[in-house]
Amino acid sequence: MNGEAWRAGIKKYYIYVVLALIVILFSVVKLGQVQMFGRGHFLSPDSLINLLRTAVPILTLSGAFTLLMISGYIDLSVGSAMSLAAVVFALMVLNGFSFLPALLATLLLGVGMGWLNGLLVMKLRITPVIATLVTLNLFKGIALLIVPHGLSAIKGSAEKLMPAWINDYARKAVLLGLPWAFYAAILVIAILAVVQRKTILGKYAAAIGGNRTAAELSGINAVRMGWLLYILVGFFAALAGLARASYMSLGDPLSGDGMELDNIIAVLLGGTAFSGGEGSVLKTIIGALIIMCVTTGLMTVIPAFWQVMAKGSVLLLAVVLNHLLVRARARA
Amino acid sequence: MKLTENVLEIRNLLKDFPSVRAVNDVSFDIKRNSVHCLVGENGAGKSTLIKILTGAYSKSGGRILLNGEEYNPHNPRDAKQKGISTLFQELNVVDQLTVAENLTLGMEDTTLGFLRKTDKINKMVSVMNSLEPSIKPRQLVSALSVAKKQIVEIAKAVATESDIIIMDEPTAAISEGEIARLFQIVRGLRAKNVTVIYISHRLDEIFELGDYVTVMRDGKHIDTRPVSAIQDRSELIRMMIGKTVFEAYTPKPERSRELVLRCRNLTNHKLGGISFEVRAGEIAGFYGLVGAGKTELARAIYGVDEYQGEILFKGRKLAPSPDKVIAAGIALVPEERRSQGLFTILTIRGNVPVMNMAKVSRHGFINSAQERKVTQEYIEKLRIATSSTEKEVIKLSGGNQQKVVFSKCLFADADLLMLDEPTRGIDVGAKSEIYGIIRRLSEEGKAILIFSSELPEIMNICDSIYLLYDGNLKASLQNGPDIDSEKIIHIVTGGEGK
Amino acid sequence: MKTNLGARISNESFLSLFMLGVLVVLFGVACLFVPNFYRPQNMVNILTNNWFIVILGIGVTFLLITGNFDMSVGGNIAMTGVLSVWFCQAAGVSQNALANGLGLPYTAALVLALMCAMGIGAINAFFIARLKVPSIIITLGTMMLARGVAQIVTRGAQRNTSLPDAFGVLGNTAIPGTSVKVAVLVMIVLVVAAFVFEKLTVAGRRTYLIGANPEAARLSGIKVARHITLLYLASGLLAGITGILLASEFKAGVSGRAAGYEFDALVIALLGGVSIAGGFGSVLGMFVGAVILSVVTTAATGLLLSPDWQFTLKGLVTFIAILAQRFALDRRKA
Repeated sequence: MNGEAWRAGIKKYYIYVVLALIVILFSVVKLGQVQMFGRGHFLSPDSLINLLRTAVPILTLSGAFTLLMISGYIDLSVGSAMSLAAVVFALMVLNGFSFLPALLATLLLGVGMGWLNGLLVMKLRITPVIATLVTLNLFKGIALLIVPHGLSAIKGSAEKLMPAWINDYARKAVLLGLPWAFYAAILVIAILAVVQRKTILGKYAAAIGGNRTAAELSGINAVRMGWLLYILVGFFAALAGLARASYMSLGDPLSGDGMELDNIIAVLLGGTAFSGGEGSVLKTIIGALIIMCVTTGLMTVIPAFWQVMAKGSVLLLAVVLNHLLVRARARA
Repeated sequence: MKLTENVLEIRNLLKDFPSVRAVNDVSFDIKRNSVHCLVGENGAGKSTLIKILTGAYSKSGGRILLNGEEYNPHNPRDAKQKGISTLFQELNVVDQLTVAENLTLGMEDTTLGFLRKTDKINKMVSVMNSLEPSIKPRQLVSALSVAKKQIVEIAKAVATESDIIIMDEPTAAISEGEIARLFQIVRGLRAKNVTVIYISHRLDEIFELGDYVTVMRDGKHIDTRPVSAIQDRSELIRMMIGKTVFEAYTPKPERSRELVLRCRNLTNHKLGGISFEVRAGEIAGFYGLVGAGKTELARAIYGVDEYQGEILFKGRKLAPSPDKVIAAGIALVPEERRSQGLFTILTIRGNVPVMNMAKVSRHGFINSAQERKVTQEYIEKLRIATSSTEKEVIKLSGGNQQKVVFSKCLFADADLLMLDEPTRGIDVGAKSEIYGIIRRLSEEGKAILIFSSELPEIMNICDSIYLLYDGNLKASLQNGPDIDSEKIIHIVTGGEGK
Repeated sequence: MKTNLGARISNESFLSLFMLGVLVVLFGVACLFVPNFYRPQNMVNILTNNWFIVILGIGVTFLLITGNFDMSVGGNIAMTGVLSVWFCQAAGVSQNALANGLGLPYTAALVLALMCAMGIGAINAFFIARLKVPSIIITLGTMMLARGVAQIVTRGAQRNTSLPDAFGVLGNTAIPGTSVKVAVLVMIVLVVAAFVFEKLTVAGRRTYLIGANPEAARLSGIKVARHITLLYLASGLLAGITGILLASEFKAGVSGRAAGYEFDALVIALLGGVSIAGGFGSVLGMFVGAVILSVVTTAATGLLLSPDWQFTLKGLVTFIAILAQRFALDRRKA
């Protein structure tokens, strides 16, 4: 086998190996002293369930985020969009909305946020990073404004109780100890993986990210496609925020902070090129699981204040890996 | 629809740019199902004409009829829909998709957004197979050679029933064997009801491939004839360059001059072991077709591209890095003046001193009075048409922009100047001014390397001429009264040197 | 020269003037509607209370001119502040780990902390200038790295005990006879220095050349990678200075300090007309942008809006500024 084939092979499978190694590593290490992992073992059902429950938001969102990055664009506002959605959802539930209307309204809000990003980037041609940094602060600001002064989140109080059913979506076990939200995330992943492979949206995303001129010459409306992808990301950011609110039984205006970075790390680990054109929804999901393993896994052995550092290091590591695998191949 | 005999009729076409009329009252017809070649020197107006046909430019006057109907495309996509596809030099395939995906890109059959496998894919694949069976539809395009990517594009154009495919220098970046294959395919297109407009500087290709040829010069239409009605390539060359082109080259008085540059066995991805020497006051011309390795040679000497081999400049080995090369005394006028030579959003004063800031500064602080003074000097010396030193370069005409690039390089106090396509896209007047500048510089004792794909330019001013073909140095000649342009063209189009 | 002034001046001057006009209008409106807005003390506050953002803005502006982001400055401030405290806290004086430091002399602690700040800049530079990774991704990573260091050293909280007396001097001394703090003086000195750098030095010119056309810059003999490296080091250093001044002012190294400052620095640069496409922008424009932001936030506070408004306000102001600039430039082109 020659070098090129080796590299292709490594590129194709390394992420699974990394995930497996991390799982094994954390399984071997004794984690007995930590409350979170009930029986003190990483692979115990309790700890796995816990891991997957906390992973719901990123699992929900990172598929759409991958499609957007494949098309060569980026959305840094996803974390704030999540927070705003969480706050709005919690507010509605607190004020007597039942689940379905609150869900629909939240998703509509997500579509609106994505639409705004699409407007700025695709229509007004503002650099994606700048445009979405602006909306990041805008969404976050609105979320903070909605939360009454003096409170840290939308939550139940003595006068006004948060209905207990808010937990039903993302916390209450329905099957194998996992909640609805987890299965919804699995469904989203499945749908987006199919979208990437079997629909024109997936194909056009790759075409626009790979060679925009060629795509446009072939009659593809790149502006509309990019806009649609931004809307998709906004939609799933809202769903992720809703899951977060349901899990925590409150609407925290900072709950989505850092989500954009988690997504970027997952996408980079999954081997998507910075410049767009190629990438895989499923591999991003594996990347997302790696981050969750590292962060929650690390929390069991070292104090929580190491987490930011750990994530930063994983990001830089992902960049290096991505550089070695994606870039090196491009140069060859 | 009744098919007209002429697929395309061009009538009194005009295209004006701020300083120049690039297409001047051009009229000719293109016969259906033919291979129609378009030739002319660089700057003859053929690329402007093509850009009008592809919808990149809008015309300033005249009419174009496609299949007897008014044709006025808004953009390349529109042109494509109306039946004119173009094979650009920048290929328009998506590397990350498969061949079949590229073929159907933009016209997929879908149900609710889901891609369906329909006859359309099979039809397109079979068109492609009929052109080139060795390309597999499930292959990633990134794995294909340039030539095969071109074939994918041609197949797409054929399958979408384009009336006309415009091919702009399609053989520039592909190998001999691939060229033969491409020609077979182009010839086969006639049978598929496709007309080809073929642009190439390789004149042999025109005789080999063309049915008709249109010659343009200085924005005007010179003639359109069946290729069979043209005797030989020298007749074609005469049509292209007119009568007065070969200004007599005047040999310089022979002096013993110091050796400035010696290259030994330069080799890299494009160059196949090139060796030559240049002396002070000498103008050395490197001539070859697009893709022959001229720019790559310049970039290797300049330290931009990696190479093996040795470059000695005034007896010292050159370090492969532009800043060190410049410090040693070499300056480059790059091939693309806007993207490589100029800072177009800055003023003339912002551009001229860039390569030698030390001369207009002390201890790292810029002396702007000095800066203005030298800029003014160069504006006068090279006769740059501008109202002040503070004019943004983007507002100047092509010729004046090129003079700014020259100023920039001259200000670097280089002993060796490398000029890559120094007069590309410049009007005739500015051209001869630039030749004047080059001659003057050589009289001042500077060594000059010119990399050009315009033969008149090379024969006009160069003392020695090096002929490149496919990255190799095929011959070197001394310019003089008995220099044989036929032989030069013979060699650079791939014929064997004596 | 008098005729057709609009077409004569460069886009850069046009945008600066445009934003200056915006500032004047905003200021006028604020004077009309906000009580006591016109008072001299308020003016002084408006010009000086954003000093830390302005100092960061210098580095961010020059990097933006070359087409690069630096999102690590906020985290870097927290890290440098915490490290400066940790380095000079007395060693081995207490059972409480957060009260024990390395016991270095004060000056040594500052120098070391600044070197660490430049270390973050060096990491940025390595990835961006050498490996050509998009700057936004890397600097978001180093943002976390720097903040991570701050959190680890403070165990997610802060360090504020067993500090030498000298520690609080820098941040709490006013220039004799005025209420102007040393930090503001530092800002003024740095802005003037940056202005001189921008307008008068060869290195300043290079920054614009790289932004205008990196390829032409390289072919003209400019060491692009080296220059960008220096700018990132400088940006790290500026963040470090800010971090030390803030730590001194509060006599504490807080791990959560300066969250979101990277965005504020970007906002004032954009408000000041720095083009993200590279090639133009100016330090004075950035300063105008800082004053605009200050006027808006001060006016909002004066109108009794709760501090919760600040994110939304910043978002809206930037939003409008970007749209206005785009509109103005498009109109100009037409």
